[in-house]
Amino acid sequence: MDFLAPWFLAGLAALGVPVFVHLLRRHVTIPRTVSSLMFYERGIQSSTRHRRLKYLLLFALRAMLVLLVVLAFADPFVRRSAAGSGGRLQLIVLDNSFSMRADARFAEAKQQALAAIAGRPHDSAAQIIAIGGRVEFLTQPIRDDAQLRSALDSIKPGDGHANFGELGRAIRSLAEATPGSVDLHLFSDMQRTAMPANFADMVLPANVRLILHSVAQGGTPPNWTIESVEAPAELSDPKDPKHSRVRAVVVGFNAPAATKTVSLIINGKTIASRNVNVPANGRATVEFAPLDVNYGFNRCVVRVEGGDAFPDDDMSAFSVRRSDPERVLFVHPAADTRSTTYFGSAIVAADQSSFVLQSVASEQSTDLDPSRFAFVVLSDVASLPTIFEHSLAQYVAKGGGVFIALGTHASRHGQVPLWGSAVTDIRDSSRTGTASTMGQVDFSFPALAQAEPGRDNGGWAAVKAFYVAVVDPGNARVAARLADGTPLLLDKQLGEGHLLLFTSGLENLTNDLPLHPVFVAFVDHLARYLSGIERLSGSRLVDSFVQLRSAAEPVGAVASVEVIDPDGQRPLSLAEARTVQSYRLARAGFYSIRLASGRDAVIGVNPDRRESNLEPLSPDVLKLWSGSSTGANPQNSIASQLQKKDRTTSLWWYVMLLVLVATLAETAVASGHMGTQREEV
Amino acid sequence: MQRFLDPAVLAGISSLDLLAKTVVDGFVAGLHRSPDFGFSQEFAEYRAYTPGDDLRHVDWNLFARTERCYLKRYRGETNSQLTVLLDASKSMQYTSGPPPKMDYARFIAAALFYLAIQNQRDAAGLIVFDDEVREYIRPSTRPGQLARLFAGLERAAPQARTDFAKPLQHFTHSLHRRGIAILISDFYADPVTIVREIAPLRFRGNEVILFHILDPQEIRPVLGSSALLVDLETEQRIEVVPEYAKTTYRAKIDTHIEQLRSSAKAAGMDYHLLLTDRPLDFALREYLSLRQAEN
Repeated sequence: MDFLAPWFLAGLAALGVPVFVHLLRRHVTIPRTVSSLMFYERGIQSSTRHRRLKYLLLFALRAMLVLLVVLAFADPFVRRSAAGSGGRLQLIVLDNSFSMRADARFAEAKQQALAAIAGRPHDSAAQIIAIGGRVEFLTQPIRDDAQLRSALDSIKPGDGHANFGELGRAIRSLAEATPGSVDLHLFSDMQRTAMPANFADMVLPANVRLILHSVAQGGTPPNWTIESVEAPAELSDPKDPKHSRVRAVVVGFNAPAATKTVSLIINGKTIASRNVNVPANGRATVEFAPLDVNYGFNRCVVRVEGGDAFPDDDMSAFSVRRSDPERVLFVHPAADTRSTTYFGSAIVAADQSSFVLQSVASEQSTDLDPSRFAFVVLSDVASLPTIFEHSLAQYVAKGGGVFIALGTHASRHGQVPLWGSAVTDIRDSSRTGTASTMGQVDFSFPALAQAEPGRDNGGWAAVKAFYVAVVDPGNARVAARLADGTPLLLDKQLGEGHLLLFTSGLENLTNDLPLHPVFVAFVDHLARYLSGIERLSGSRLVDSFVQLRSAAEPVGAVASVEVIDPDGQRPLSLAEARTVQSYRLARAGFYSIRLASGRDAVIGVNPDRRESNLEPLSPDVLKLWSGSSTGANPQNSIASQLQKKDRTTSLWWYVMLLVLVATLAETAVASGHMGTQREEV
Repeated sequence: MQRFLDPAVLAGISSLDLLAKTVVDGFVAGLHRSPDFGFSQEFAEYRAYTPGDDLRHVDWNLFARTERCYLKRYRGETNSQLTVLLDASKSMQYTSGPPPKMDYARFIAAALFYLAIQNQRDAAGLIVFDDEVREYIRPSTRPGQLARLFAGLERAAPQARTDFAKPLQHFTHSLHRRGIAILISDFYADPVTIVREIAPLRFRGNEVILFHILDPQEIRPVLGSSALLVDLETEQRIEVVPEYAKTTYRAKIDTHIEQLRSSAKAAGMDYHLLLTDRPLDFALREYLSLRQAEN
């Protein structure tokens, strides 16, 4: 026992009160007269002893009362070892990733988890955790079997990708907050692909004992699946042989060489089938062309025919939107024709999208409605008609995209149109004598996205800039910088839309970018980013997020978004529909989404293909993982024992209960004495 | 009328005269038949005249009608002498509730005096004693005797201890005519000693009645806890535990009463235990029954 407030112990001085009352204050006995003592006998010794005993009892009760009150305010508590009688915390972790749909793995795992709950020590608490696309704690540590079973029953097989690294991180966080020992029961198929790249991520704390319950019994069954699908998200001309095609990669996991039939299904109708020879544990590519789709969104599926051990992963969903070529408004100075040429050539050469460039001199842009265009390019425009500039601002606020390029007229820019800030300086190579080269390029930025940039900085290393305007980036995102640190490409969100600022020109006078191949890819990505095509169709992975509205403060009235999941349900409440900014695509299938900008999207969502590889972790790895948490490192274990936190249990309520009991007893005994005195009177 | 004999009611009456009258009248009215203990000169029977008889007793009226000489016979003189010996020791002032034993004894004495003098034309006297004779009123039927007796009762204040030897000796010397002696006391003494000291009264032809006055608490004392008890006469103090009062004491007092009763009976005396919460009629009835037996 210890005391949190030792000063309260000074209250023990109050023990002197009952001592004074019982020792220093004489008890007054009023004699009782009788006619004669002839028949009475002296009972002095016995009666005195009796009285003393009774008074001692009263004294003891009063002293105990004071003592208990003092103790109660001193807030006593006891330290108990958390690993003591309270039992070990049982963590029931059930894998509900996509691979658990194979065979009856999930049902078997759930059955084993239920048995583990029923068979755990009666005094130990348990906590239910689901590990699918993310680690979900479904309960607090509780002892109620009914709640635990209910939480376990609520876990359904998901479409996410399990990651034991995330589990390890979550358990490490949990173990820091939970004193005592923990038993971690993992019910999973122990998929090899769930293992993180770094084994250290999986390692569990020393006070966590890992008990593995594998449901992947026997050998790994052969499984074929669609590994990837390459298809246009936007299609304007189905007869365009360059764009109108679907290329799918069929892969076999632990599978022998086989001839598989792959079908393309559009809007529920099988359009075409191809036979493809898939080598043992290898890949094969199958192509469907042309892609004959209707106007609007088309829900497309590529499927491997013929059963295997895991039929749920035999198809891959994506959506293709067919529309007429969208127009791009290209506003330029009347004297500038170079930028139009270069940009127009690049956008025509782009792979994935089809745009038609409409170039307009800035002086003629007064009556144009920007909302009719996929996006707008302002090339070296020093000033815009006020009406058009206002229209552009509204267009961007509602979700439109504007690309601003500062050319040779940058020095004359007082204020960059729409951007909101002025050109502060000019980097002119004709003065310095050396052209600027590219420095940092953010390849995660959608307009610059490259999967594997390579050593030439993704093709940007050879780009030279001769004339660059310096603009204060403010809160804009700098996607590319020159070697001297001057921002070259900046992105700013305005309402639901985006403004991209290129601090050089789109012609070959201010830089040589248009002369490099990377310019075409840049314009292609730029066009898709600003037009939002990528967000409206195509395919995503399960557990990816789709942005429903911009993160910035809404401009004007708040628009509602709408999400319809693969089951046709609306998972968002009305309140969420007005506030939520992004949505997690948790299920495989087609999602229909209406964005805050008013644009519709249909997205095909597919499970992570790593889930299709059903090969389990090797026994050595599993043994290593289990051993990592059960004394594999004696030093860590000892350190853990030393650092083990004791659980403190406050005794305040118990002491107050005793105070109540002592008060009642004291009242009863004291009233007995007072009753005697009254009788004597 | 029974309620007028209740000691708790009588305790509220300050005048012994009124109290005695209330008790006796109530008692007499409550009897089912009139007392046949008529006053003197009450006709009994006729008897034929024989020579030597007193001519004053001849019924001349009868002789005139029948010319036969008959004597009228009357019941003899029934005048008796009542002497009440009242114990006025300190122990008699004990009470657990009204009335105290002393008052109860006064009530009985007053009622007896009233009954004897007013109703029975008996001579009545009083001896108040403790360890000495405090008051002595010679038995008499003179007018004003009842008032003197009541005044003597009023003056009888409890004091000192009880000693039966001296007052009884005084009584024996002053007694010239046999009668009824009623000893009212709580008899806190050895029964054998008491009877031995009282016995001489009986030898001289007196009818002796012992009225043993006790408070109910003296028969069945109740102690909530151990208590310090003080003797009213000796002022001795002792502590007593409730268990003792509940068991041993009760056995002892019962034995004492029984011993006193048996000793008195053996000595030819009547013994009656009177509790202060019981009506007074019992004492009056006892007196009258003895009075009848005397005749």
